[in-house]
Amino acid sequence: MPQIPIIMPQLGESIAEATIVNFLVKPGDAITADQDIIEVETNKANMNIASPSTGVIKALTAKLQESYPVGAVLGQIEVTEAEAARLGLDPAQPDDGPVPADAAPNGDQRRVRPTVRGLPVPAHAAGASFMSPRMKARMHELGLHAADLAGIAGSGAAGRVTIQDFEKYINNLNQQKLTEASSMRVAVADAMRRSWTRPLATVGLPVGLDPLLAHRKAQNPKPGPALYALRALAIALAENSAPAGRLVGSQIVHPSAIDLGFAVEADDGVLVPVIRNADQKTLSQLTTRYAELVELARQRKLPGDATGGSIATVTNYGTFSLTFATPIPLPEQTLVLGLGAGRKVPHWDEAKQQFIPVMEANLTLSFDHRVLDGGAAGRLLLRITDLMTHPEQL
Amino acid sequence: MVHSPLKPEPVGDVSPMQELYLRAYRLMLLARVLDDKFASLYRAGKIHGGVFLGRGQEALSVACGLALREGDVFAPLIRDQAGRLAFGEPILDAVRTYLGSALGPMRGRDGNVHRGHPKQGLLAMISHLGAMISVVNGALLARRMKGIAGTVGLACCGDGATSTGAFHEALNQAAVEKLPLVMVVANNQFAYSTPTARQFACDSLLDRAAGYGFHGSEVDGTDLSACLTTLTAAADRARAGRGPQLVVARLLRLCGHGEHDDAHYVDAKLKHLPASRDCLKASEDFLRAQEWADAPTLAAWRAEVVQKVEETLAKVHREPAPDPFKENWYALSARHLCEGYE
Amino acid sequence: MSITYLEAIREAQARALNDDPRVFIYGQDVGAFGGAFKATKNLAARFPGRVLDAPISEDAMAGLAVGAAIEGMRPIIEMQFADFSTVAFNQIINQAATLFWRTNVPCPITVRLPCGGTSGGGPFHSQMMEAIYAHYPGLVVMTPATVEDAYSMLLEAVAIDDPVIFCEHKLLYNHLKAEKLPTEALPVGKARIAREGRDLTIVAYSAMVQEALIVADELATEGWEIEVVDLRSVKPLDTDTVMASVARTGRLLCVGEAFPWGGVTAEVIARVACEGFGLLDVPPQRLNAKDTPVPYHPNLWAAHRPTAPRIAAAARKLLRL
Repeated sequence: MPQIPIIMPQLGESIAEATIVNFLVKPGDAITADQDIIEVETNKANMNIASPSTGVIKALTAKLQESYPVGAVLGQIEVTEAEAARLGLDPAQPDDGPVPADAAPNGDQRRVRPTVRGLPVPAHAAGASFMSPRMKARMHELGLHAADLAGIAGSGAAGRVTIQDFEKYINNLNQQKLTEASSMRVAVADAMRRSWTRPLATVGLPVGLDPLLAHRKAQNPKPGPALYALRALAIALAENSAPAGRLVGSQIVHPSAIDLGFAVEADDGVLVPVIRNADQKTLSQLTTRYAELVELARQRKLPGDATGGSIATVTNYGTFSLTFATPIPLPEQTLVLGLGAGRKVPHWDEAKQQFIPVMEANLTLSFDHRVLDGGAAGRLLLRITDLMTHPEQL
Repeated sequence: MVHSPLKPEPVGDVSPMQELYLRAYRLMLLARVLDDKFASLYRAGKIHGGVFLGRGQEALSVACGLALREGDVFAPLIRDQAGRLAFGEPILDAVRTYLGSALGPMRGRDGNVHRGHPKQGLLAMISHLGAMISVVNGALLARRMKGIAGTVGLACCGDGATSTGAFHEALNQAAVEKLPLVMVVANNQFAYSTPTARQFACDSLLDRAAGYGFHGSEVDGTDLSACLTTLTAAADRARAGRGPQLVVARLLRLCGHGEHDDAHYVDAKLKHLPASRDCLKASEDFLRAQEWADAPTLAAWRAEVVQKVEETLAKVHREPAPDPFKENWYALSARHLCEGYE
Repeated sequence: MSITYLEAIREAQARALNDDPRVFIYGQDVGAFGGAFKATKNLAARFPGRVLDAPISEDAMAGLAVGAAIEGMRPIIEMQFADFSTVAFNQIINQAATLFWRTNVPCPITVRLPCGGTSGGGPFHSQMMEAIYAHYPGLVVMTPATVEDAYSMLLEAVAIDDPVIFCEHKLLYNHLKAEKLPTEALPVGKARIAREGRDLTIVAYSAMVQEALIVADELATEGWEIEVVDLRSVKPLDTDTVMASVARTGRLLCVGEAFPWGGVTAEVIARVACEGFGLLDVPPQRLNAKDTPVPYHPNLWAAHRPTAPRIAAAARKLLRL
């Protein structure tokens, strides 16, 4: 025959346990449903436990004067099959035990439930592309930039760099040899980092130097090849300044004057003196001005009107014996014209049907691809080489 | 509270009742003149917030104040200028609170009829009707616990407040504790614009006294003599330990709910009923009929209170307004527990 | 010897009655019967005339307390259930809470609110009321989570010259035990670091502190060190201690048993976001009861309020972020 337990009931709000004071029945007694069977005492009152069913007391396992928590089994009642069925103890009944506390209500199944709801870290955020407020605050405190975090592998969601990863990285740095970077280095780093946020591209082609080297012999003062390039760039931009425009939002900012900069290596960085209205100066004037500014730059005494506000820059990486490079334009400029080192190369002379030695250098134009495309950049570069190979036009 | 705002009585050989009546009349007069002044200042744009007058209720109110002694507890409501003066509230308190003087008892933190000196037994009402009654109960229970005997508490309300749960709870509470509470209901026929027919359905509010276990009495609120007698008797019964008292007075509110209200909804026929007479005028008539005061005396008394009011106003007009930058913005007496939001 | 949270409340009241003749207790069934939860058991006999049964008039009970406080008494009002204090809401927020500011007369009353859910309590015997009272200026709102705090904070509530809403959790009454009553305590308004950790801060109060401590134990087996901050009082709210903890951990989970809209958890997170944005390495999270009335059936009730499994799940999400 089925048995049902006698349970210590919840005899009031917040009651945790009760003490057995008296058994009103004994094993073997026939009892009816709702009959008082055990007297208990809580800290609130004395109460009777009622029988949950009609049947026979099989056992009373609880002990007098002992306390039992709510839900404890105090004894067993033997009941008939019919009584058990009436009480819903039919084994065919599904067992609906307590619902897990964190189970989603049914209604939620149709809803889109992001895995990390309310925590807006993008998926595939590997590395430091997501920076928490705390990370930003710490970086600000230490004077760091996003680029400085490139070396940290993240351990957070989708590989993000957590503050713990960050602090560990900083601690490791402190165990290595550290020196302060020069202010020049920091300034160049800042300019390059800002410029690098743009999509930059480079086009290049070789330019023959023999005509300008011949032309140069007759000049006093004698301009270097880079000055021919600067003069050619000035004329080309005076003819069409559109490639030197800047894109800000959906608007083009047009150049107002052909002010050109040129890169000068100084100490631990690069300075860019500016020649104003380069299109309106002769090659000779440019040569004189160039020499003055190079000297002032090396002395770190550039006047205010010779810095900033240029629309493009010429850099002569040939002075480092480099034949090809992809310079980065200044952040406020769209263009940088680069000149490589000259070298003798065989050139097929169609008329003579033989190779002849010619002096040649690579000319590169790096540009903000948002402002102009390869075609426009190529046309500008071709125009510059055309002018450089016809120095009498400069 | 202590007072008095008025000069001692000039008359010498008079009966106690006559003396009480004369004192009451002059306080009523002061209350009326002060109220009228507030009404003019309101219409001149000199008062921030509302103005609530006791016009028509001065006889009942003054009797409440005069039935109390120093050491008693008084919870006036919005139409109790006369009762406040009688209980000993200085005119300065009223003027300073209405004009928002920083030197007033409420320091600009609360205004108009919400003033009081709780420690001196004059409670500062909140706007929620019926809410002050249990506060009076608490003060009375505290006195009993402290062994202070012989003091009573008096709470005022109108017919409207009798519909609140707070009124019911507090009256029942006072009766259960057998507190010396005198509950005075001015049945002035309107709660704002709502007539009594929409407020309660029993024949008389006095019927409620039996339900609560109060001793009940009814009085013509326009008759100063009757008010003085009834209120004094009720307070005496409470003082003698004969339990809580309910006094219901019939009268008509002779003004709007506040000065923003023209009371157009009051039926003209109602205004001309004998029970709707002006208690101040009625007591003047009584004084002259009794030959307790002649016309020149009445005129002199009026001139005296007008001067008193004008002097007080002149003083308060020169007082500083509260300064938000000097206000400490602490809502707790335990300052270290205040949260300093900026 | 051990003492329960409920016994601590009773002992605190006995001591207050014993030490200060201005103290009295007023509430429904608090007299000879000893209170619905037995929080005043035997006190009426020990202190004749000072533990008074009130009619079922919560409004008048609170109003009476204010009047007695004006007269220099220090009443303790027992609401039979926190839920019923809504009937006294007007007297508490408009009368008691404004009295000092309006009149310069302090209002030293203590309103005891047996709050929070117990199994089978249902919609009107289970509510958490701290947030609505904390919203009003002029009230101190205490939410003790331990036997020691139940004792020392109630004594402090009676001693404070301002109205104190004392939220005592019914679930802790008989379930929470301590070895003995405390002899010293943190000052009111100061939160307690209930457990130290470095990976995540769980801010909790009242019964949720106990749930948070269970979670901290569980997560410790997974290698996480959870810091648990017990607010102790929600008004004043000890922002400094919370902020200092978040500075250590960078991660904040705030757990409350009240309904989700606004409330203490929102206040804590608002303060940390406003004043400590730069301390957060992950978005702060809050966990509250569901936005429905408190259900009656134990299955529904257990899912309605935050419990250790739900808190642990939320904590794990934050820790893995």
